[in-house]
Amino acid sequence: MKKQEHEKNIVKVGLKDYDLDTVRYAAYAVSDAAYVFITPAGKGAVAVEFTPKHQPVTGHQSPVTGHRSPVTSHRSQAGNLARRFREELKDEKIRAAVFDANRDLREFMILKALSYGTAGAPPEQEDSGLTPEQEKELDALIAQVESEIKRESAGSGTKDPLGITRTWEEKYGAKTGRKKN
Amino acid sequence: MAQKPAARKTNPSGGVLPQVLWKKTGGSYLLTNDAGHYAWLKEKDFAAITAGRLAETGPLFAELASKGFIRDRLDFNDLAAKWKKKNAYLNYGPGLHILVLTLRCNHKCLYCQSAAAGLGAAYTDMSLATARKSVDFALNSPAMGITLEFQGGEPLLNWKALKGTVEYARKKAKTRGKDLKLALVSNFSLMDAEKAGFLLANEISICTSLDGPKDLHNKNRIFTGGNSHGETLKWLKYFQKKHAAQSPDYRVFKPGALLTVSKYSLSRHREIIDEYARAGLEDIFIRPLAPIGYARNLWDTIGYEAKDFAVFYLKSLDYILKLNRQGVVIREKTAAMMLDKIINFQDPGYLDARCPCGAAIGQIAYNYNGDLYTCDEGRMVGWAGDDLFKIGNVFRDAYKKVMSNGVTRVCVVSSNLEAQPACARCAYKPYCGVCPVYNYATQGSLWGNMPSNDRCGLFKGIFETLFALLKKPGNAAILKRWAGK
Repeated sequence: MKKQEHEKNIVKVGLKDYDLDTVRYAAYAVSDAAYVFITPAGKGAVAVEFTPKHQPVTGHQSPVTGHRSPVTSHRSQAGNLARRFREELKDEKIRAAVFDANRDLREFMILKALSYGTAGAPPEQEDSGLTPEQEKELDALIAQVESEIKRESAGSGTKDPLGITRTWEEKYGAKTGRKKN
Repeated sequence: MAQKPAARKTNPSGGVLPQVLWKKTGGSYLLTNDAGHYAWLKEKDFAAITAGRLAETGPLFAELASKGFIRDRLDFNDLAAKWKKKNAYLNYGPGLHILVLTLRCNHKCLYCQSAAAGLGAAYTDMSLATARKSVDFALNSPAMGITLEFQGGEPLLNWKALKGTVEYARKKAKTRGKDLKLALVSNFSLMDAEKAGFLLANEISICTSLDGPKDLHNKNRIFTGGNSHGETLKWLKYFQKKHAAQSPDYRVFKPGALLTVSKYSLSRHREIIDEYARAGLEDIFIRPLAPIGYARNLWDTIGYEAKDFAVFYLKSLDYILKLNRQGVVIREKTAAMMLDKIINFQDPGYLDARCPCGAAIGQIAYNYNGDLYTCDEGRMVGWAGDDLFKIGNVFRDAYKKVMSNGVTRVCVVSSNLEAQPACARCAYKPYCGVCPVYNYATQGSLWGNMPSNDRCGLFKGIFETLFALLKKPGNAAILKRWAGK
């Protein structure tokens, strides 16, 4: 029991600096190595208590990256936990700000993504109610009218006989700059 | 009036980052976002970007802006397109349908999670009626591409059902307008020319198990009827030759193999990989043992710690890259699938690492008696006496009922990374996924506790390694080829 007490480590956190959710998430992040208890510690503060779960770890080197995890003793393990927790607190505070600032933006982006390019296959053609022969006749008629329109507009030398595409200035000249009273 | 000298332009977002995740590794920060983009930042640059002091003029700003890490420069079309591509599976129903044709097996593998039944247990054979009903059920999925995977036990022990199911499924898929793929997982010990001919003519892709050199393979995969390793290699070569020659009448797929890492494999990564390369296999899928189903009871004998597997995996990856540099064509499948997400923004169809996981909504396991499970791992838990992951029966339950039942829903909810406190904050989230069955089997809860979850630790190790390797141009070129295959 005494030994257990010795291994415990308590960090006091002011709720003015970090809200309770931030403290909870940061505590959860170190729950691989310790049991974490959060209790009230006076007005506007909580005490975060860590009880290590495992024996101290030995240094392990990643065979590919070469990174080596630090060798720890009981005392430094408790110290490491507190250090990890404080780092997580700082990170979590930024994360909370990022999440809050982007909630709407993110929802918009994901909604856009979900509906992105969902035009899908072209809709099936509606049944016109015509027989194949009538369809052919109609197609031929449309082609004839189109070719006549084409021929007429080519003959007139202009594609805009009514001057619809011409600007006001082209039709009536530039403004004089004088205002009518 | 004289103007003030122009101030150095800084991040116009005033320090507010868009939705990003990050991880500090050594002196650098890895940034990722929902679309799957990633970028490396030095510590000072991370401090600058979070404080809104990153100069707009530098190449770093341009890189970050193009990847969606600058809030006022978001290209919504690009980000939405990438997000959609990476999460394409959300638009389909279950595509993988695993038919357990029998629980009987002529092997007694040390690690067999499905706890195969003895050869006399014919009551565990799937009847043709059940198989047909299973095919009908599978074809109800809205997915256009349906894969039927025949598994066991040893599925060749129920050849009659296999043959009948293939013929029935081909016919039904045609009338339903589905793109049907058929796959077989077999130990090859019962393969003969007639069966092989049928499998080839029906375009069934074939996968087997190869655990390494002869002594190791036969130690893991005990076959009282002979030499398991010899049979495996013989038929692998046969199907490879058929693949190389192809046929004018049908497509012949390249055979594949799966590696299960036992306690005896841990010290032999080089020999195992060399064996794969010698066998002409271009993919090696290094899979750890999972303490699920009966394997959990045998864990003291056959299991190992997650960190031991991680060391094995990373050493293997290192060795495979070394072989690649020497011109040997071989890649590790887990890494290749993760890289497909990281580099190509693509869903590689890896049901175990997606959000939500593939349980029920990506795959369904059909037991020999028509019982339906969220996945094969869920079925294994059921076979060990806990039917938590059973989602129905092909004779009793309609597709819609199975898809909307409580177990299906809870698997979706618990594998949604947004609802996992550690995952929602993890830089690897855009590429990762959790397994509710694994969590339940190892931690007693579908949600689990990710900070102390061995699978999570392993995936983090794999991602850390892949991102570290991608930083080095030589390795990156090789890894890009893996993802591009």
